[in-house]
Amino acid sequence: MSRFQEKQTTLLSRVELATVKGRILYWCLFALLAAMAFITLFPCIWMILCAFKTPREIAAGSSFFPENFSLKGAAEQIAFAWEVLEMGRSILNTLFLCLTNCAITVLCSGFAGYVLSKRKRKGMGEVFVLVVWTMMMPGSVRMVSTFISYLSFPLLIDNGLDIPTNVNVLNTYVPMWVGAAAGSFTLILFKNAFDAIPNTLVDAARIDGCSTVRIFFQLMLPLAKPTVFYVMMGALSGPWADYFNPYLLLSDPSKYTVPTWLFVIQGKTEVTTNVYMMGLIFACIPPALLYLFFQGRMTGGIMMGAVKG
Amino acid sequence: MKSGLTAWLLLLPAIIAMYLMVWRPQVVGIIWSFFKMRGYEVQEFCGLDNYIRVLTSRNWGLALRNTFLYVFWSFALGFLPPLLIAFFINEMVHFKAGFRTLIYLPALMPGICSMLLWKYMYKADSTGLLNTILMKLGMEPYGWLNHPDTVILMLVLEMTWVGFPGTMFLYYTTLQGIQMELYESALIDGAGPVKRFLHISVPQMFGLLALNIVQQIIGVFQVMNEPLVLTGGGPNGASMSVSYLMYRYAFLEGRVGESLATGTLVFVILLAATCFYFYLNRKVEENYE
Repeated sequence: MSRFQEKQTTLLSRVELATVKGRILYWCLFALLAAMAFITLFPCIWMILCAFKTPREIAAGSSFFPENFSLKGAAEQIAFAWEVLEMGRSILNTLFLCLTNCAITVLCSGFAGYVLSKRKRKGMGEVFVLVVWTMMMPGSVRMVSTFISYLSFPLLIDNGLDIPTNVNVLNTYVPMWVGAAAGSFTLILFKNAFDAIPNTLVDAARIDGCSTVRIFFQLMLPLAKPTVFYVMMGALSGPWADYFNPYLLLSDPSKYTVPTWLFVIQGKTEVTTNVYMMGLIFACIPPALLYLFFQGRMTGGIMMGAVKG
Repeated sequence: MKSGLTAWLLLLPAIIAMYLMVWRPQVVGIIWSFFKMRGYEVQEFCGLDNYIRVLTSRNWGLALRNTFLYVFWSFALGFLPPLLIAFFINEMVHFKAGFRTLIYLPALMPGICSMLLWKYMYKADSTGLLNTILMKLGMEPYGWLNHPDTVILMLVLEMTWVGFPGTMFLYYTTLQGIQMELYESALIDGAGPVKRFLHISVPQMFGLLALNIVQQIIGVFQVMNEPLVLTGGGPNGASMSVSYLMYRYAFLEGRVGESLATGTLVFVILLAATCFYFYLNRKVEENYE
């Protein structure tokens, strides 16, 4: 077993693994991990298997695997579920919300992080303390007062014109957008990432006549790539997970996002368990694709979050 | 002078958004909790009326007790597994990346999908996954979410399934960050696995663990989605958490003033926990410097 000889020393080292007792312990741990991996994956496997069963098989509850499984049948079931679920509209909504949220997050939190890191003025230290406190504020306790404030949201400052300054933003995406701009954690992530970039680079660019906006887009963002990707992934996958805000704030179902849509169609009679499981699979695909795309590109970003816990 | 203006202008959108979404609702929420509300409109000052009504109702005591149960169970079930698995994976020389990926996979599912999936798994008739297994073993189907004594445990089981891969990954990256030379020199000095664990792993992990525990308390204390999606607070309020109570007052029962008062009470409790977190954070950072 040469692989044991090369093992880096942690709790078990090559010394212990050379003994029989150590080997047994090691393989016990291995078996335990395998069991754990099986348990964690079991619900997902069940979801996929259920999606390809017929309603009758599910009602009988007898078999774990779908009977009479064929590729053609599976394709038909996917097509059938797609028709029943009517998710197209909500997918488009979610995509729209994703992209707008992502742009808003990167611009608002990014610029703010840049200013707090590289363009500090008097008073900005206090602003940063405020931001840290914003992050630590428990979110759920504001649910109701935030909801009430949406009824007359101060979107514009008083301009002396006839345009109303306070508008009811319920049944629009405005709350979600303002929420994306208010990300204090992403702001801090950006600030930390920009702090790691030497000031001299920024000064040199400025002496060469680079504008602030250009410095941000052509210098800061590319140099802080892992963090930018990490934040982008968060912003892009957020609307695929948040069922609650659209459910609470939107009254028009044609504006619902995928998670909210799935939440409200549970009761419909034509949505049988197998169709519903297919819907859950549909809803899992985009975030999984996002993760696959960003996975290798944001390692630094995760580490940075991990340092502070 | 001009560049100072630009800097403030670039900072402004984020600050305004935070003011609108965090600071203003936080402050007015506390103020409004002392006012009589009609629908969502603020009426006249009414002193502690809302609070008295919240504190004297059966719901508050029940919800608070349930919330502490959520926190308790989330520890009993959720503290050790991610830590142990992170340690175990770190020991592997076979299939290390495979285990890491497989165990992390459920975390890729959007939270709402996991909740809905578990709702179907817990189904009380013969079609739910857990009941199919029971019936295979020759037992009667069980109403997993229908028993007041165990319903919170069931919800926490789902929360643990959703949350533990992320925590495991965090612990794992920290373990990976421990310098191998430390273990190596301890090995040469003759320290066995137990001693290496006590004198190297534990001190290196302690700060992160402490911070994570406080964060978990703050997070689980605000649990709302699980009771909302899986049980609707039932059976008979047995899974109602304080956050869900707040939701119920405001959006289902039209008792907005009481909802605001509940929110303020929870806020005070969590603020204490948050201050403790900051204190701990400072301590931990001092130790690492």
